[in-house]
Amino acid sequence: MQSKLFPMALQRFGTAVLLLAAGSGLSTRVGAAVPSAPGLVPQAAINAADTAWLLMATALVLLMTLPGIALFYAGMVRRKNVLSVMAAVVGTAAVVSIVWFTLGYSLAFTPGSRWLGGSERFWFAGFDYLHQTGQVAVSHVAPNVPEAVYAMFQLGFAIITAALVVGAFVERMRFSAVLWFAGLWSLVVYAPIAHWVWEPGGWLSGLGALDFAGGSVVHVNAGIAGLVCAYSLGKRRGYGREPFEPYSLAFTMAGAGLLWIGWFGFNAGSAIAADGRAGLAMLVTHIAAAAGALSWMAGEWASRRSPSLLGLCSGVLAGLVAITPAAGYVTPPAALAIGAIAGLACYWGATTLKRWLKADDSLDVFGVHGIGGIVGSLLTGVFADARISGQSGSVLTQALAVGAVALYSAIATGLVLLVVHILVGLRVKDETELLGLDLAVHHERLG
Amino acid sequence: MTETERIAIAAQLHVALRSKTGRVTDTEWMAVNVAYAAEIVRFTRAHAAETHDLDLHAMASRLEFAMEPLAAAQLARADRTRPAPAPELATKDGPRYVGGLR
Repeated sequence: MQSKLFPMALQRFGTAVLLLAAGSGLSTRVGAAVPSAPGLVPQAAINAADTAWLLMATALVLLMTLPGIALFYAGMVRRKNVLSVMAAVVGTAAVVSIVWFTLGYSLAFTPGSRWLGGSERFWFAGFDYLHQTGQVAVSHVAPNVPEAVYAMFQLGFAIITAALVVGAFVERMRFSAVLWFAGLWSLVVYAPIAHWVWEPGGWLSGLGALDFAGGSVVHVNAGIAGLVCAYSLGKRRGYGREPFEPYSLAFTMAGAGLLWIGWFGFNAGSAIAADGRAGLAMLVTHIAAAAGALSWMAGEWASRRSPSLLGLCSGVLAGLVAITPAAGYVTPPAALAIGAIAGLACYWGATTLKRWLKADDSLDVFGVHGIGGIVGSLLTGVFADARISGQSGSVLTQALAVGAVALYSAIATGLVLLVVHILVGLRVKDETELLGLDLAVHHERLG
Repeated sequence: MTETERIAIAAQLHVALRSKTGRVTDTEWMAVNVAYAAEIVRFTRAHAAETHDLDLHAMASRLEFAMEPLAAAQLARADRTRPAPAPELATKDGPRYVGGLR
C-alpha cells in the first residue's frame, strides 16, 4: 500500500522541502531529500489537498466500523445478542485506539527492523505541530501529510481489522475476554504484520508483495484469526441442530451499505494523495463490489433457486475485500473479474468450505474475509498493471505474503487466546449463553 | 339480541348499581363494549355475593347473556385478523439458518 507509493510521495516531499527549507533556513531535513524515518518538516511542505482527502478518508474508514460493522454483524445474530455484538464492536474500537496510541502505531510504522517497528513513536511521541518554528511531524511513509493524520488514518484500519474478528466469536465470548483479546491481538498480531507489508523496511515490502489497502494485512489476517477463535471457543449451544435466525437483515443491509461507502475511504484513501490513482482506486472498488454482489447472487440463485438479500450483501463485501489489495494496481476490467471471482469463491467459502471446516465461525469471517483476502491478493499478482503503479505483480510473491501472514496470524492469535483464557477465561457460562448476552452480561435489551 | 334490548338491560343495571352501591356507570358504553360490560358484571356479582342480593345477581347474568353474541362476534373478528404463523424458512438443502447463515 503506502510503501508502494513511496517514490511518488517522496518526489513531492523532496521538492517541497528543498524549496521551502532553502528560504526558511530550516536545516533539519534539508539534506535528507529521502527520509527514512519520521521527522519534522516545514508546515508549508504539507500538501493541503492530500491532507484534506486523507482527513475525509479517515472519517470514512471509521464509519465502516462505527456503525458499519456493528450493524452488519448485529443484524445477523439472534435477538437476545444484538446489543452484545454492538458493545463488542464499540469496546474493540476503544481498546484498539488506546493501544495504537500507546504502542501499536510505532511498532507498525517506524523503521525498527524488518520484523517490527521501533519505539520512537510510543505514546505518539514527536507528533509535533510547532507554531514558533513552523514545523510539523510527518511519517516517512506518507511525507506529504501530517503524521497525526496518517496515524489516525491507519488507526481506522487497526480498529476495523480487530472488529472484523468479532464476527467469529459472537454470542458466546466473555465481554472482558473480548476487550483483552482486542488489545493484545492488535499489538501482537496486527502491528507486526502491518510493519512487514506497509513499512518500507518490512520484509514482505522488501520482497515486492503488493497490498494496496490491506488484502493480507486486514482481511487474510482477520479471516485466519476468526477461524482460530472459532475453533478455540467451540460451537454455540445448539449450533447445527436448531436455526439461529438473524434478528434483522435490514440492519445487515444498512451495515453493508455503510461499508460499501466507507470502503472508498479505505481504498482510495490508501493512495495517500488526492490524485488520479486515488480516483482509479475508488472506481475499481465500486466495480468490484457490484460484480461481487451479482456473482454471489448468481451462484446462490443457481444452486438454491433463491437470490437472498444476505447473499447480495455478502457478495458486495466479497468484492470489496478482494479488490482491497489490488485497488491501486489494476484497471476497471480487472476489477470486474476480481469482484466476480471473489463473489463465487466467498459463496463457496461461507457454505461448502464452512461445512468442511466444522467450525462455528458464526458470521463467516473466514468464509468472506479470509477467502476474499486470499483470492484478491493472488489476483493482484495476476492483474497488476505496471502502467498504473510502475510495478507488476508476481503470483508467487503474493502467495508467499499470504502464506506468511496466515501462518503468523494463526500461531499468534492462538497464543493471544491462550493468554486471555488464563487471564479472564474465554467463554460465558451455559446459562448466560442461554439467556442471551444482552440481558445476562450487559443488563440491557432491545425495546 | 338488538342493541336497544342491550341498552335497556344496561340501563336497569345502571339504576340498580347507582342506588345500591353508589357506583355510576356508562349505560351506552356498557351495551356495546364487551370488556367494559364484563367488568361491570364482575363488580355486580361481587357486590351481590357480599350483600346476598339475588336481584342484582340476576341482572348481572342478564347483561352477560345479552353481551354473549357480541363477544362471540368480536372473537371471530380477532381470529380473522390475527396474522397467520410465519412459514418455516427452508432451502432445498434443509431448514434455513441451521449450521450456517448463508
